[in-house]
Amino acid sequence: MPHDVTMPQLGMAQDAGKIVAWLKAPGDPVTKGDALFEVETDKATMEVEAQEGGFLTAVTAAEGEDVPVGAVIARISDSAEDDAGPDAPAAVTGSDTPPASAPTSGADDLPEGTSVTMPQLGMAQDSGLLVTWLKSPGDPVAVDDLLFEVETDKSTMEVPAGQDGYLLATLAEAGEEVPVGEAVAIIGDSEPEAPIARARGAAAAAAPKAEADPAPAPAETSPKPAREQSKPAPAPRAVGGRILASPKARRIAREQGLDLNRLAKAGHPQPFHVRDLDSLRALPDTAAGSQAGSQAATRSLTAKVATDGFAAFAGWAKEAHGLTDADALLAGLAGANLPAPCTVAVTRLGQTRQFAVPPGRALSRVEPVSATPEETPSSPDLVLRDLRGGSIRAVAMGGEDHPVLTVMSDDTGLTLTLETSPNQMDADAAITLLTNFADCMEQPLQHLL
Amino acid sequence: MAKTKTNTEDYLRMYRQMVRIRTFEDNANQLYLSAKMPGLTHMYSGEEAVAVGICEALTDDDRITSTHRGHGHCVAKGAEFKEMFCELLGKEEGYCRGKGGSMHIADQSHGNLGANAIVGGSMGIATGSALRAKLQGNDDVTVCFFGDGATAQGLMYEVMNMAALWKLPVIYACENNGYSEYTKTDEIAAGSITARAEAFGIEAHQIDGQDVLAVNALTRKLVDRARKGEGPFFIELMTYRYHGHHVGDINREYYRSKDEERDWKDNRDPIVRFRAYLVEEGIASEDEIEAMNAEIETDAREAVAYAEAARYPDVSEVDMHVYAD
Amino acid sequence: MREITLSQAVNEAIAEEMRRDPTVFLMGEDVAEAGTPFKVLSGLVEEFGTDRVLDTPISEPGFVGLAVGAAMTGARPIVDLMFGDFIYLVMDQLCNQAAKQHYMSGGKLTVPMVLRTNMGATRRSAAQHSQSLQALVAHIPGLKVAMPSSAYEAKGLMKTAIRDNNPVVIFEDKLMYQDKAPVPEEEFLIPLGEAHVKRAGDDITLIATSSMVQVAEKAAEMLASDGISAEVIDPRTIVPLDEATLLASVKKTSRAIVIDEGHQSYGVTAEIASRLNERAFYHLDAPVLRMGAMDVPVPFSPALEDITVPTPEGVAGNARKLCAGEMIDAA
Repeated sequence: MPHDVTMPQLGMAQDAGKIVAWLKAPGDPVTKGDALFEVETDKATMEVEAQEGGFLTAVTAAEGEDVPVGAVIARISDSAEDDAGPDAPAAVTGSDTPPASAPTSGADDLPEGTSVTMPQLGMAQDSGLLVTWLKSPGDPVAVDDLLFEVETDKSTMEVPAGQDGYLLATLAEAGEEVPVGEAVAIIGDSEPEAPIARARGAAAAAAPKAEADPAPAPAETSPKPAREQSKPAPAPRAVGGRILASPKARRIAREQGLDLNRLAKAGHPQPFHVRDLDSLRALPDTAAGSQAGSQAATRSLTAKVATDGFAAFAGWAKEAHGLTDADALLAGLAGANLPAPCTVAVTRLGQTRQFAVPPGRALSRVEPVSATPEETPSSPDLVLRDLRGGSIRAVAMGGEDHPVLTVMSDDTGLTLTLETSPNQMDADAAITLLTNFADCMEQPLQHLL
Repeated sequence: MAKTKTNTEDYLRMYRQMVRIRTFEDNANQLYLSAKMPGLTHMYSGEEAVAVGICEALTDDDRITSTHRGHGHCVAKGAEFKEMFCELLGKEEGYCRGKGGSMHIADQSHGNLGANAIVGGSMGIATGSALRAKLQGNDDVTVCFFGDGATAQGLMYEVMNMAALWKLPVIYACENNGYSEYTKTDEIAAGSITARAEAFGIEAHQIDGQDVLAVNALTRKLVDRARKGEGPFFIELMTYRYHGHHVGDINREYYRSKDEERDWKDNRDPIVRFRAYLVEEGIASEDEIEAMNAEIETDAREAVAYAEAARYPDVSEVDMHVYAD
Repeated sequence: MREITLSQAVNEAIAEEMRRDPTVFLMGEDVAEAGTPFKVLSGLVEEFGTDRVLDTPISEPGFVGLAVGAAMTGARPIVDLMFGDFIYLVMDQLCNQAAKQHYMSGGKLTVPMVLRTNMGATRRSAAQHSQSLQALVAHIPGLKVAMPSSAYEAKGLMKTAIRDNNPVVIFEDKLMYQDKAPVPEEEFLIPLGEAHVKRAGDDITLIATSSMVQVAEKAAEMLASDGISAEVIDPRTIVPLDEATLLASVKKTSRAIVIDEGHQSYGVTAEIASRLNERAFYHLDAPVLRMGAMDVPVPFSPALEDITVPTPEGVAGNARKLCAGEMIDAA
């Protein structure tokens, strides 16, 4: 049985060795214990002995070459002719262990071709969710053909093939999170006989075996959860900074819909503890109090948009992504310009629905906070009042508990009015919010990315 | 070669066990060299007559404590290749379920109380095992294996003092292979090693650790006497390790010469010597010995292949065995 | 119920277990005729003889090592370490050997031994005979750590520890040996990992170990006169720790002070406070406070020594601040 000769692991912190000289030539007979080659490592040169008798064959590493530890560099065979040729010897000794890859390459049995990698889409994005494949393994593809669809922090987009050829392999499945820069597909020139489709998890699980990794690395076989379970409630924000309150006081305030801001505005000493919530409950009626406080100092901004692109966008989102809740999309677009996570209420014809916009602000992850419109569990960060299709053309409602963004329509397009009090939103934030939202309403698709 | 009453079966078993140790180590070294084994390992090659000579004088009820250079003790005390290679590779079926590895390898069911990676760390355990035997009226004996380097640890003097005070059935087996890691023993040990034990009134012997029959004969005598309450005893076994302190210690000419290594291998190898003796005495033929060697070689290869393919422990085992029920 | 001293309670526990199980034996410096300097073990050698009550040389690593070996091969040794400060001497045997044998052997070896030692300052014994080093051993997986707070706990925990199949370290407060408490005549055991609510209360939880339980109880008395209702909980063992009982109390009171006589930094108090913080955060109405010994070697002079350990006044003062919602000064 042929025996592989590998670059031995010699020093304590060594991962490669340089072959100084071969002491036997291909075809030479060798006896167990014969010095085969000389290797330099850790500043010392030493001779490596044959572990088996036979004939030296299939020498693949030349003198002067640096070879990683464990790499096969020759073979000791039963005859001088055996396997002498350009083929690399099988990588693993005797047993029926599956063949390992050359240590320099991370891939195992993948076809040759050009890799298509997960693109970097957002600014601070390190992975993308593979939503769906638009081509199947084996399909011919053209340079501009859309290959797959990916969801990142802001939205979903389609990634083109980038070259002509055949899709030889897909390396991740729909639903898997793939790090930016990692290969997700391989495209080659010729039509494959056996195109490959596999999950990213499968590749990760196979890797340690191929590299004889000593650690029983827990294979990450399942993709990361695609949806975040929590629906973060808005943290109370201080007038001029952070409110100091105990964790318990904060939790109870959140659960009972008490606004710690009001206690702060009332000048109650901080930090707030649970007992201070009694003082908060004892404050004068909420609506009256805040109206009185904010009426005097209302900001009002109005934007005009020539076309309402939202309906088309909602149709597309439903078609392409199964996002059927147009209000959630609307809330998501509006919430995209607020500090995340945030809550946006959409109110129309006397009905209010509240939506949690998660960090990352992916439209597909905007979730209704409560199923029944009557219940509004906590105060929203923004109210979006949708008066489209009605006869109102302008509003000046004055200050309310929350910033209110009113959307109206007529023949000339949309009119958007943002009303807020200074302590709810500063001027820059208000301008940014309205500008961006107006752009989004006009051309939602363009502003997705 | 010490002369003892011929006992074919015992002799062949001793030879076989020595070859099993050498073969195990050769395969372990290969696993390391080819980067298939996690971590490092300390080779016992060259010292086989010590472990085998002593353990062949013990029963399964007798205990031993082993060291970081413990594969030899483990084999000699009755362990199997398959579970040993599994342990070496950190696999579930290893003797310690992959939690110990090379430095803690032990087949506990044959009285091996574990290999200890703290130099001299097991001296208290071995002496405590002997104390338990005495307190409970059992006649088992405990052998404490350690190296010349461990004679520099204070614990040795504390426990030898108590063992001598209480006449405990423990035998301190000092495997003097001439080097305390990368330093000549002469440079770390003042005076005589046996004199250290004698200071406590412990009977001490120095013996050729490359002569398995001599080691076995002496151990048998001392074990018998220890069972009768005449312990403790101390043996200094003069031996040699063929490899470096561990498998990564390859460039060692700064502390010992290749000529010295060659001399021990060529002229004092315990297996070569005992094989010649067996043939000379007509106990086994060359062919029989070759067949035995080949069979052991095959066993080892199969065990390695088995261990390579064996499963790692499930990750749920990571916090198992921290506490006993 | 009869009252006995903590010293008598320990003695009774060991004697009962030695009668029950012939594999139990006792070893240490001056444990036989002398019965230890604190006279805790007096009388045992008369009943059990020098075969089972062994006086050892002054070789702490040596005899703890012997105990590990005896435990691994079928005995149940109780080792007496005369002062808790000597734990530093036996660290290898305790932490590298006793604690890891079960794990390193994949569950095949066990080390059923008890190391009984002591802790506690204000005995005018200076820096090397006054330390409370429970945090050191509690840090090591594989060791259990018990801290009896009275004669009752001392007896029940000792008996359980002797029967446990793991190395258990018991810290007795050397100032409490003569303190009396009601202890039933009939046999009883206290499970390891079961906290005891010493006093129920609603406003703040005082979690205290060993000697500090008395301190916490006195503080609770003082607080009661101010109208603050303090709950006092003794975890009894810090490994395993009865987290559930501690969490339930803190979720109820929403405030906690953790008191232990070890040095405050990186100590038992820090560990418990941290767990409360992690697992009861949204129930906390005040920061969880640690109160341990000052981070200084224990001084000899009474004028200095007495201010290094938590006092009832100090605990009550901090409790009042927490209940009043005052900010705790970092300085």
